[in-house]
Order: sequence, then structure tokens, then C-alpha cells
Amino acid sequence: MTDGTGVHVDDFRDLNDEPTNPVESKAVVSKSPTQLALARLRKDRLTMVSVYIVGFFVVAGISAPIVWWLGLIDPFTTDTDLINEYSLPIGSWGGISGDHWLGVEPGTGRDTLARMWLGTTLSLTISISATAIAMFLGVVAGIVSGAGGGWTDTIIGRIIDLTLAFPQVLMLLALATVGIAFVEEVLHVPHGNPAAAVYVVLVLGLFGWTGIARIVRGQVLTLREQEFVQAAQMIGASKFRIYFKEILPNLWAPILVTFTLMMPAFVSAEAALSYLGVGITPPTPTLGNLLTDSLRYADSVYVYFFVPAVLIALIVISFNLLGDGLRDALDPKGHR
Amino acid sequence: MGKKLKRGAAVFSAVTVGLTLAACGGGGESGGGGSNEPGEPGGTLTYLQAFPFESADPHRIYYGVQLANWRRTFYRGLVAFPMSEDPDVSNTPVPDLATDTGTTEDGGKTWSFTLKDGVKWEDGTDITCEDVQYGTSRVFANDVIIGGPNYTLSYIDVEDYPGPYTATEEQQAAFEDAVSCDGKTVTFRFNKPWADFPLAAAGMMMVDPYKESFDEGAKSQWKILSNGPYKVEGGTWDKNSGAKLVRNDQYDPATDDPEALRLALPDVIDWQINPSDTAGELFNDRMIQDAGKDQTAITNARVTAPQLPKVTGPVAERYVNVDSPFNSYLVINAKTVTDLKVRQALAMATNLNGYVKALGGEKVASPAETIVNPGLPGATDNPAFADDNNNDGNFDGARALLEEAGAVGYEIKLSYPKTPTADKAMAILKEGWDSAGFKVTLDPLGDTYYDVIASPDKDSDVMWAGWGADWPSMMTILPPLFDSRPNISSTTCGNDYGCFQSDEFEALVDQAANAGTVEEQVEFLQQADLVLGEQIAYIPLEITKFNWLYGSKVTGFTTTAASAAYPELGLIGVSN
Repeated sequence: MTDGTGVHVDDFRDLNDEPTNPVESKAVVSKSPTQLALARLRKDRLTMVSVYIVGFFVVAGISAPIVWWLGLIDPFTTDTDLINEYSLPIGSWGGISGDHWLGVEPGTGRDTLARMWLGTTLSLTISISATAIAMFLGVVAGIVSGAGGGWTDTIIGRIIDLTLAFPQVLMLLALATVGIAFVEEVLHVPHGNPAAAVYVVLVLGLFGWTGIARIVRGQVLTLREQEFVQAAQMIGASKFRIYFKEILPNLWAPILVTFTLMMPAFVSAEAALSYLGVGITPPTPTLGNLLTDSLRYADSVYVYFFVPAVLIALIVISFNLLGDGLRDALDPKGHR
Repeated sequence: MGKKLKRGAAVFSAVTVGLTLAACGGGGESGGGGSNEPGEPGGTLTYLQAFPFESADPHRIYYGVQLANWRRTFYRGLVAFPMSEDPDVSNTPVPDLATDTGTTEDGGKTWSFTLKDGVKWEDGTDITCEDVQYGTSRVFANDVIIGGPNYTLSYIDVEDYPGPYTATEEQQAAFEDAVSCDGKTVTFRFNKPWADFPLAAAGMMMVDPYKESFDEGAKSQWKILSNGPYKVEGGTWDKNSGAKLVRNDQYDPATDDPEALRLALPDVIDWQINPSDTAGELFNDRMIQDAGKDQTAITNARVTAPQLPKVTGPVAERYVNVDSPFNSYLVINAKTVTDLKVRQALAMATNLNGYVKALGGEKVASPAETIVNPGLPGATDNPAFADDNNNDGNFDGARALLEEAGAVGYEIKLSYPKTPTADKAMAILKEGWDSAGFKVTLDPLGDTYYDVIASPDKDSDVMWAGWGADWPSMMTILPPLFDSRPNISSTTCGNDYGCFQSDEFEALVDQAANAGTVEEQVEFLQQADLVLGEQIAYIPLEITKFNWLYGSKVTGFTTTAASAAYPELGLIGVSN
């Protein structure tokens, strides 16, 4: 990362990890802000734990289709020999066995671990795609709004207000049929789950950009008064260059933080939408529809009930902690 | 149009979302113990219900449970089904307001009933022949009296009669010729034979009496003028909270046959309605706990499948498991799946045992071998389905059939109303069919399910459906579901969801309709079912079972064919 802030790197040193006693002098090591941030991050144990958990989920998410393709997990094959006459799993812990580490699904005997694993992939894919769309829209709108100022700023500001005032959950449910038809016919996405997934991604993305747009705009308002931006303006750089070559590289900290905070929110949103009947439908698993199904077994199959809830909670908490940790680490004026 | 099965909170019942199904046959054996002997009069019975009725007006009632329970409390019929656990007894009407079960001298085209002396409305006035005539006429005003069964419209020998509210004098006179009064004797004249009319009159309320001076048309929707052993305190039913039923002092048991029709044991029935989504499950949790006032309570909310493991020990003594009059089945789209071998392969590879297990096991459903509910007279297994596999699905046999037809990899779109339970049950069917060489895609649909599958140009190949008989006769199952003539028009396939058409089948239906006796009719309809089986017009799935719990101080709890396998309110009392 370049030192785009125009602040001399050494200015950071005495604020942070340099010993206060100058007599005991070490060799003076020059550190970039990134290195400083990473050093702060490493000292934060809670955040480091969440980094590992997030890493674990990301690896799990990427590996699920491969493991499935290799035939090591099987999220779809039913086995009614594993369920009893009440259609609940046979065995006292939701059917946990050597073959089924997290038990089996009531009603069908499908392997819970396999469904969770593939469900994590789909849920993370949906939430990361939606976050990416929201971030892209938000950052562009924020930079244009902040740097452009004047009428542009006013118009974008009002659009943000309008989007925030929009009853989005209601509209999302009411427009699901029309919206999915639009996705199928105009965007030529195949009918069924692919179309539903694209609809959810688009809706989450198109309604989720306002927060980051406002944060970015605020940052840009400060940045555009800085010398390096004014210098670029004076030598006649194009607006595009100023926006995206001069200003954008200085925004990566808030963008990264917002990303890690927005993504788990979308994991929860996918689950909520699934409960309300919009989104990917079974037998294709997502964390949302697994959670929805598990609620019916709250007082009969405890293992099956807790596994999706705990998994979603873990993902959301670890991403949130990571986001908080990053914010603290990246902000030299923070408390830690 | 079938009688309605109200979706309970039961997990399985969710499969039957928004059905217009029917119920009147049924029966089956009571499972659990409990005190089946009728108790003593007196006390207060609490009746818990988790959905609202659509109306309290007798001519607008179509829910099976409401028709059955209200026959015992408010609305006596000309004839009624007796309260017996033996379905043969319970499916045979006995006189109620009339002195006999109806007489016909021309093979069912004309039916006469004579009213008993001393039968009264709750305001003390006599029930007259004109009340029966007026009640029958109201059903024709189907823009005002919305929602009830309307079979009489196509049978009663009158043309262009708009009902009593807007009829001209001539139209009214023509109707009063078709349904005429002579003293206390009412005579119905039909345009075709109606051999099982007394069954229809007992099971539905479309020829029940109604007092003209009490009628306010649509405004009478929630008003009750009782002629039975109970009346509603205040006279008006509250849709979303129910009502308190107290003794009707104008009801004279001497005009009735209480042993057979209504013991009316409790002094008060506190009928509580809670239409929230979770109420049914909560009611059954209360039944399991059996505390305080719930000891004298019953509910018509079914026990949900995940609650069943809790029904053990003393709770199991207050539990009944019974076959309901409702069946579910798969319809094959005759327009898209035209090859008989492919249809046979589908039937052969249907894993019914797995399907039933996914619904919640043998306590909530049992595999069916025909669309005709076993509680109906003449129900026999259809060899096309009974012989094709052992209900586990014969995947190799089905694959051989597909190979013969050169259709391995045949694509099937399976549509069904989306519920969590249905998602799983359908996944089991899909897997069986897939392993036989089909390529199945699941197509879960929302609220307007039946509108979607009735459309003539849908692309679904196989569709789930549910149905129950309106009265104990196959006439209310096979013709309404597979006769193309009343069903199919340019815009819809009606209840014939697969747009099935067969001249052979329709000829048998005509012979059945014109049969002079019920026995002949049954024979023709059995043959008609064989035709449907040979052509695989449908694939039977399961016979729905009902699970009931009741309080420990409730006496005489049972279900009968007459109560559509719901609690038989006429026998139930509370011990002091």
C-alpha cells in the first residue's frame, strides 16, 4: 500500500510501538501504516481468534463443492432407515454417528453436516456477492457525492434518503414474484433457485449501499481538501483520476471494515428472508432454510435445532469481531 | 367442490394448505384408550379451535368439522348421520327433523320428507315445510349466500332461478313447483335421478330449513337461529373468538333421537377460537399438560408430528389416532406426459413408505392404494397401484419400463404447495423417481396453488392434490376430479388438474349417475376407478390420519364417520 495520506510514516512511530524510553534505543525500523495496523491487530487476541474462525469458514465454503464432487459428503441423498416412526432421527443425539457427525435431518435422513457445509458455501456466496454490489454502489456514490459536491451531492443525498425510507422488507416480499420473473426474463437466469438467489443478491445489494455511501462521502469531504488532491486538481487531472486514483486508495480502511460488518448482516438477512419464504428453496441447502426447518424441532431434536443456529451465530459474531478489530487496528486515533 | 379440511397447526396438515376438500365418509378405528363410554349430563365443556369459521349461516358452511359438530348442536337436518363408531351404521342416515329418511317412487328423481310434530326454532315457533322450502331456495342466491355447497343448483328442476331475494313472482312460483309443500310434507323434484340424495341432505346443510322472517341475506352470516339442543348466548357467533353455547329451552328431546343423534351432555359449551398460527400447537401442549380447566377441554387442532413422541404414559390414555376421510394423491398432466409407459413407471417408482415417513410416520398418514378413502362404501384397492410395487417403490421395474419407452432421462416437474414437511416428502419421491431414470425438478408453489395447477397450459408434469368426499359416496370423488365435461373449459381444467379425458370413464360416470340404487352406482364407480388406474390418471399417496388429545375429565370422546373423524361432539361430556 502506498503512503497516500501524505503523512510521513515516521509520524506514527512514537504514537504506538516505540518504547517511551529513548535511551534504550533499538535500531530504528521504518514501518508502513499497513505494518503498523497488522502489528496492532496481532496484539488483539479476540480479533485474532475471529480471524481464524473466519478463515475456517472461508476455507470450508470454498471446499464444500469440491468435497461434494469428490463424493465425501452427500447433502441430498435421503435415507429413511435413519428415522423412526415419528420421522425423527433414530438415536439420542439427533442421530449422531460415525457416518453422520452432526446427525441427520428429521423427515428425510439426509446428513446434517453435509447440508450445513454446502449451505455455508451458498450463504457465503450470496452474502459476499450482495456485499460486493452494495460496496461498489456505495463507494462510487460516496466518492462522486463527496468529491463532486454541489448539486451532485444533493441529488445523491436525497437518493440515499429515499432508499432508506423505502419499506424494503415489505417491498421485497410483495415484489418477489414480479422480481424473480424479471430476473428470469430480462437477465436470462434459469428458473427456480438460481433466479431466486440472484433476486436476493440484487435486492440486498441495491438496498444495502446507503450506509457505506455516507461513510465514504464523509471521508471524501476531508480528503478533497488535502494538498495531494488539490495538487492533482492544479495539474489538471481528470475527475475520474482524482476520484479513483487519488481519493479511492485512501478509503480502503473504512471499506474493509464496512465489508466485514455488512457481510454477516447479509448472512442473517438471507436467513430471515428464507424464513419469510423468499430465497433458495429446499432441497438445496442454505443456512437460512436449514434454520427455518430446524425451528420446528426445537423441543424434539435438540441437536438438529441448535446446529444451524449456532453456526449462523458463529459466522455473524466472528465477522463482526473481525470488523471491529480491523477498525481499531486501522484507526491510529483509536483507543487501543 | 369438496368439503373443506381446515389446515390445522399440525405439521403434516400443512401439506393441505388452502384445500377445498371434503369430508363426510371416513371412519376407521379409534387408537388410544380413554373413556369412550358416554358420561353424565351437566358441566362446562371447553372447545378449543385454532382457526375461524367462514360463516355461521347453515347454507354457507363447508368445513367438514363445522358441518359435523353443528348438526349436533344448532342445526338439525331433515335426516342426519348417527353417532356410531361402526362406519356402516354411521354412513346410513336416520330421520332427524323428518319422520323418515325420505321416500322416492321414481328411482331418485323425486324425494319427499314429512316433518315431525313439535320441532321448534329457538324463538318457540314451529319449523314448517315452508322453512325447508325457503332454506333450499337461499342456496340459489349464490351472490349473497356465498361459500356453501351448491349441488342442488344442478339437480333441482328449475331454470334461471336467482334465489328468493331477486326472483320475480314467476320464477318464485316455478321454484315452489320444483320444491313444493303439502302440509308438513316437502317434495324435491330433480331434473335427473339423485339416488343418494338423503346422504347429501344428512352430510351437508343445503336443504336445511331457514326461517324467512329471520333472514337478512348477507347480514345473517354470523347470526344463529338454533333448532338443536344448544343456542348461542346473544345469538351471534364471533368469528375470531367463538361463543358460549347454552341450553336451548325450546328444544324437545322427545322429537329427537338423542341416543343416535345428539346426547348433548354438557350444560355449557365454551367454544374458544384463537386464529393465530401457533394456537393449534399450543392447545395440544396444554392438552399434554392437562392442568386446571383444560381437564374438561377438547380441541379440533391436530397434534403435530413433533409432539407425538410426548404422547406416552398417562397422556396416551387421552389420545385417539384415526383415519380421516381425506386422501392425497398425485395427478399426472395428461397434456405433457402422454406415454402410458412413462406414467406407469412413475407409479411404479413411487416410494410411498418413505413419503409417509417424511410426513411424520404412520401416525399421521398411511399409504393408499386408491384415491377412494377406505371409509367410503365400495372402496377397494385399485390393482394398478396395489400390485405395481410393495410401496417402497420398484425402481428397477420402472427403469425397465422407461427403457422400453425409450424415455430414460425423462424430465418431470413436480409441483406442490410449499411447506417444510412437503419439501422433505417430495424430496423422497424425487429421489425414487431419479433412481428409476427420471430427471425430476421440484416446484414448490405458494398460496394460489390450486389456481396454478388448474391452468390448462401449465408446464407441471406431476401435481400434488388432496380431496375428501362431501358425503359417503364415490360420486363426490371420481366425477368431480376426473370428469372432463364439468371441469374443462378454455381457461381452466377445474378440479381435473391433469386435464384428463376418457370417454370410457365418462360413460361409466353417466351410468353411475343414472343408477336407481346406491349399490348399482357403487359398482359403476368401482369400474370407473379401474379405468383411471389403467391409464394412471392419478397416483394415490396417502390416507391422512388425525391425532386428537383431550382432557382427563372429558367423557365419551370418540370420532365417527359422521363427525368426519373430528371429535364427535354429540357424545362428549364432562365428569364432575
